[in-house]
Amino acid sequence: MTSTPLFRLLVIFAIAALGAGCVQKTKPMYNWCNYSDSLYSCKKNDGTETLAQHQAVLERIITESKEMSMRVPPGVCAELGYVYAAQNRSKEAIGLYEQEKQTYPESALLMNRLISQTEKRTTVPPGSETVSDEKALNQEKSLGGAKP
Amino acid sequence: MTTTPRGLALLAVALLTALMMGACAPKQVTKGEKFPQMYTETPASILILPPINESTAANAKTYYATTIQECMSYWGYYVLPYEITSDILKMEGIYDTELIKGIPLPKFREYFGADAALFTTIKKWDVSYVVIASNLTVSIDCELMSTKTDQQLWRYNGTVVVDLSGGNTGGGIAGLVAKAIIAAAQTAMADYVPYAKQANYRAFSSLPFGKYHPQYQVDQSMAFFDQTR
Repeated sequence: MTSTPLFRLLVIFAIAALGAGCVQKTKPMYNWCNYSDSLYSCKKNDGTETLAQHQAVLERIITESKEMSMRVPPGVCAELGYVYAAQNRSKEAIGLYEQEKQTYPESALLMNRLISQTEKRTTVPPGSETVSDEKALNQEKSLGGAKP
Repeated sequence: MTTTPRGLALLAVALLTALMMGACAPKQVTKGEKFPQMYTETPASILILPPINESTAANAKTYYATTIQECMSYWGYYVLPYEITSDILKMEGIYDTELIKGIPLPKFREYFGADAALFTTIKKWDVSYVVIASNLTVSIDCELMSTKTDQQLWRYNGTVVVDLSGGNTGGGIAGLVAKAIIAAAQTAMADYVPYAKQANYRAFSSLPFGKYHPQYQVDQSMAFFDQTR
């Protein structure tokens, strides 16, 4: 039993090494804050309150990711842009769609579609009937699905 | 270091146990052999389609849908924003399962720029009662289809079963009633969403990594349990 202290020391070293390895490996890829929780609340209790909370989460994900110099998770800029577009904050919406496109070139097709849709809506003179999302989409290429 | 006879015996037992477990464990396969097309086609962008609900819970579709995007992003794919894409599909009148299945896959590439479409089917989303025990089950079938070749690229199931019965509440009829009440109360409040997330992680465990993941294109030898149906 003379080797016991040495053995113990070795075990401690091994555990320490393992621990250090794990810490480095588990650096998260993204910071999603509590995205899916707030989205779930939106679906559970439809209302302006839950929507505002979800919007705040989206905004926080973007600022925090930038602070931590992490890539903003896929779809978050686009989703916040979509929320802004619905509030007629077109300029900010387009800026976010552009940001999504820059971070993820795969999103270009959809982002360009959303950008032109938002631009079309803003060019409608005030006072006249605003083009709804539905109309704007119908003017574009249709998916060819079953129309109601 | 000296090895005692006792140590040797322990080692032998450990080896035997490992061997036995190996014999009765389900077959293991690697990502590379099971899903070779994922490595040749290398889809980068994924469109999550509205879930197909085969469970008895009417709201499972809406609730489950909130758990997919975040989870899938960790596998390194560009996941198209579901809140936007599902809205567009709704406006186009194709939010319902039967209608989605009727759309040719290349349409999703043309319209959204998606390399692949993720079909999810909620197989189970309920609490079942077995005599005095009750189990919450969430079971999800996932299938990734190429919008280029119409081929199935990947398929796996994630299932989570949770025992809700809790601790012993005493014997006799009174005990049974108390248990049933607890189970019913827990069901009413049962929050399926955390378990749905777990089910996603289980399902995605066999999914090859995408271009934003550090292990992109180098995970072919990663092993997982083969699910044969």
